[in-house]
Amino acid sequence: MSPRVCKNCGGTDIDIDQARGDAVCTSCGSVLEDNIIVSEVQFVENSGGGSSAVGQFVSSESSGKAPSLGAGFHNSLGKESRAQTLQNGKRQIHHLGNQLQLNQHCLDTAFNFFKMAVSKHLTRGRKMTHVIAACLYLVCRTEGTPHMLLDLSDLLQVNVYVLGKTFLLLARELCINAPAIDPCLYIPRFAHMLEFGDKNHEVSMTALRLLQRMKRDWMHTGRRPSGLCGAALLVAARMHDFRRTVKEIIRVVKVCESTLRKRLNEFEDTPTSQLTVEQFMKVDLEEECDPPSFTAGLRKIKIQQIEQELTKKIQDVEDEIASYQDEIETELENSRPKLKGMYASLLKDDSLDDSSSLTSGIHGESEAEDEELTVASNHLSKDLYNKMQQKNPESVDGQCQPASKTPSLTSLLGPLPTAASLGLTESIKECIEDKKESKENGENGELDLNGIDDSEIERYLLNESEIKIKTELWMKENADYLKEQKEKEERIAKEKELGIYKEHKPKKSSKKREPIRASTAGEAIEKMLEQKKISSKINYDVLRDLNKGGGTPNHEQDGIIHSGSAKKSATRRRSTNNNRDISTPVSNMGKRLQPLISSQPTKKIAAEQVPGSQATPVESSKTVLVESGPVVYNEEEAVEEEDEEEEESCVSALQLIGGNDYGYEMEEDEGY
Amino acid sequence: MESDNDVALDIIITNVVCVFRTRCHLNLRKIALEGTNVIYKRDVGKVLMKLRKPRITASIWSSGKVICTGATSEEEAKLGARRLARSLQKLGFKVKFTDFKVVNVLAVCTMPFEIRLPEFTKSNRPLASYEPELHPAASYRIKNLKATLQVFSTGSITVTAPSVQFVATAVEQIYPLVFESRKTKLSFTE
Repeated sequence: MSPRVCKNCGGTDIDIDQARGDAVCTSCGSVLEDNIIVSEVQFVENSGGGSSAVGQFVSSESSGKAPSLGAGFHNSLGKESRAQTLQNGKRQIHHLGNQLQLNQHCLDTAFNFFKMAVSKHLTRGRKMTHVIAACLYLVCRTEGTPHMLLDLSDLLQVNVYVLGKTFLLLARELCINAPAIDPCLYIPRFAHMLEFGDKNHEVSMTALRLLQRMKRDWMHTGRRPSGLCGAALLVAARMHDFRRTVKEIIRVVKVCESTLRKRLNEFEDTPTSQLTVEQFMKVDLEEECDPPSFTAGLRKIKIQQIEQELTKKIQDVEDEIASYQDEIETELENSRPKLKGMYASLLKDDSLDDSSSLTSGIHGESEAEDEELTVASNHLSKDLYNKMQQKNPESVDGQCQPASKTPSLTSLLGPLPTAASLGLTESIKECIEDKKESKENGENGELDLNGIDDSEIERYLLNESEIKIKTELWMKENADYLKEQKEKEERIAKEKELGIYKEHKPKKSSKKREPIRASTAGEAIEKMLEQKKISSKINYDVLRDLNKGGGTPNHEQDGIIHSGSAKKSATRRRSTNNNRDISTPVSNMGKRLQPLISSQPTKKIAAEQVPGSQATPVESSKTVLVESGPVVYNEEEAVEEEDEEEEESCVSALQLIGGNDYGYEMEEDEGY
Repeated sequence: MESDNDVALDIIITNVVCVFRTRCHLNLRKIALEGTNVIYKRDVGKVLMKLRKPRITASIWSSGKVICTGATSEEEAKLGARRLARSLQKLGFKVKFTDFKVVNVLAVCTMPFEIRLPEFTKSNRPLASYEPELHPAASYRIKNLKATLQVFSTGSITVTAPSVQFVATAVEQIYPLVFESRKTKLSFTE
């Protein structure tokens, strides 16, 4: 960028001296530029004799912040946030990817996805682990590796649906179309885990054919691919005379037993299941089936239809019977001798009632219940009539009994339930009114009372005595809360008086954790550690047995307990010293562990390592006597400690040397 | 369009959600003590009140905002909301019925054919997404209608949209797309 024209004289002959960094006009001699930015590379000599370039690498997307070597020494050379995020992400991707046995190419692709995500600010507001997992799963999908989302969630101990949400978002934002999951991908993996030995390939092929058959039969849409795989493998194994129980398959495939059974049942419904083994190998049936949920729905509809028809038929039959009974009754009445007094009048009343009810039932209200009731009452009355009529010609004595029966009948059935007596008239009217109501004027905020029945609303509110009762109950229930409120108010009032009242904004409490409820101390420890997510290096099984203390006869456990970690050994020692009984209170245990396992594990490790290392020789002598096993654990633990130490020293070494980091970066940049 | 010639599809509205403001501060404790069908959720800070007539559940906040759910039509939602405001009025608060708005409508519709979901998803890539490990249905979003449709392989479709009109439009829009990926029975090609 050389200035072409001199500002003072307009001359174009300008001399640029790179060494001094000047630009001078030769005609008038005015200095046009001072301190030109030099693009030369300078070299410095290192302590080892080699020379390295002076300067730093600045990425194009970096902010203008210059890292200050001096104060911000510790966090990876004080690089800016973006580079740190990327480095952190890369490390996590490699860590997870190695656990999943993904090859380097996949990991690189995943890192690319991650970089894209970071540049689109998708990592904001999301846990880094979730984003990493989503990137990895995206790679698995695009490459077609047999990894399930379930595996990732297993590793991270995160809910599958949460991961799924993040994954979907990532795929959408990056506009990457993940190809649909094919259950055939999982077959080799599961077959390998089920250990079919030499016949592995054959069983896999059979299972594949079964799966394809399932696809044709519409069993696979909307279903988890792992469930289908499990069913196919089970059948394939049986076909080749391998006995694999449902439980084994479940453990490998990670579905529930009922799911597997359901898939098998569905497959049973398909016509393919009727073929024998040889037939299946040769022939492929042409016809396809409907999806199982569809057939289930159809079945339901069919059942409903049948039921409806049945009820109709019953109705018809009943009506016929009723009509026959009417005829019989009239015949009998005509042929019957006249009866005396009370009975006759009652009979007449009954018949009148029945006829009226019949007519009302037929013409009248839309409620089917009424009709049913009338029919029922008819039958009952008819039955009784028949009985009475039978008895009457037989015995005169029975007159008293029927007489007493009929009043009860009339009292039971006489006043048939109408809408009015059921108290429904009001509501029916309201319903009709509501439908006819006009549009309201919602704009001015006034409540349009059209169609709102006040009296009904009154029913929603309690009356005086009820209010009192409820108030009492409520007060009793929430007594402690009310006390708290009162105290708070008093406190505020006092502070106001003193003039030091500060308006406390509702501070977002730092991750309010609910109290751990566990039946044993071991469980409590487990749960607490899960919550705090301390370390993946802690052997949880060991912790569970921590509570068993010195009282157990199982010395092996002692050794295993000891092998947990440095911190644990310290507490172990303390616990053995203090109380050897098994009934150590849960809270105590938790409290003792909590201060040790703080958010700065490094410092504590350093602090604990000293007593830990002291403890180890003490206890190692104790435990070496017992078993050979614990010694191994000791080594492991020592290795772990060393690792931690090494890590720390590693960081410091990096900082000191400085050049290593540059070298690393240089490789990366050259790759671009 | 084929949908006009064929049998008319029944769109059944199952849920309507609406909001309104009473423009006055409400004392939740009083409502909790004097109402019949109320649940006071102190930790969240709201009162749930359930009405029987239009069967709705309303969440009432002390600021005066009320959210009403469970109605089966827009008119019913409005009626229920007004009923609720009336009962609050009876309790002694000076309520006004303002800013009534239907926020969400949930409807169900069944197609007379089954649908191939992987095919449907592939042909409608960015708008449709199908993740069988997570949910058996494919979800399809229409941005300008702000509608989300869940398409199941049996042919039933669940639609959620801000109003009934949008629901109908969404169903009309999705019909041809779904019709393409329908499953024809006894097909000899796979």
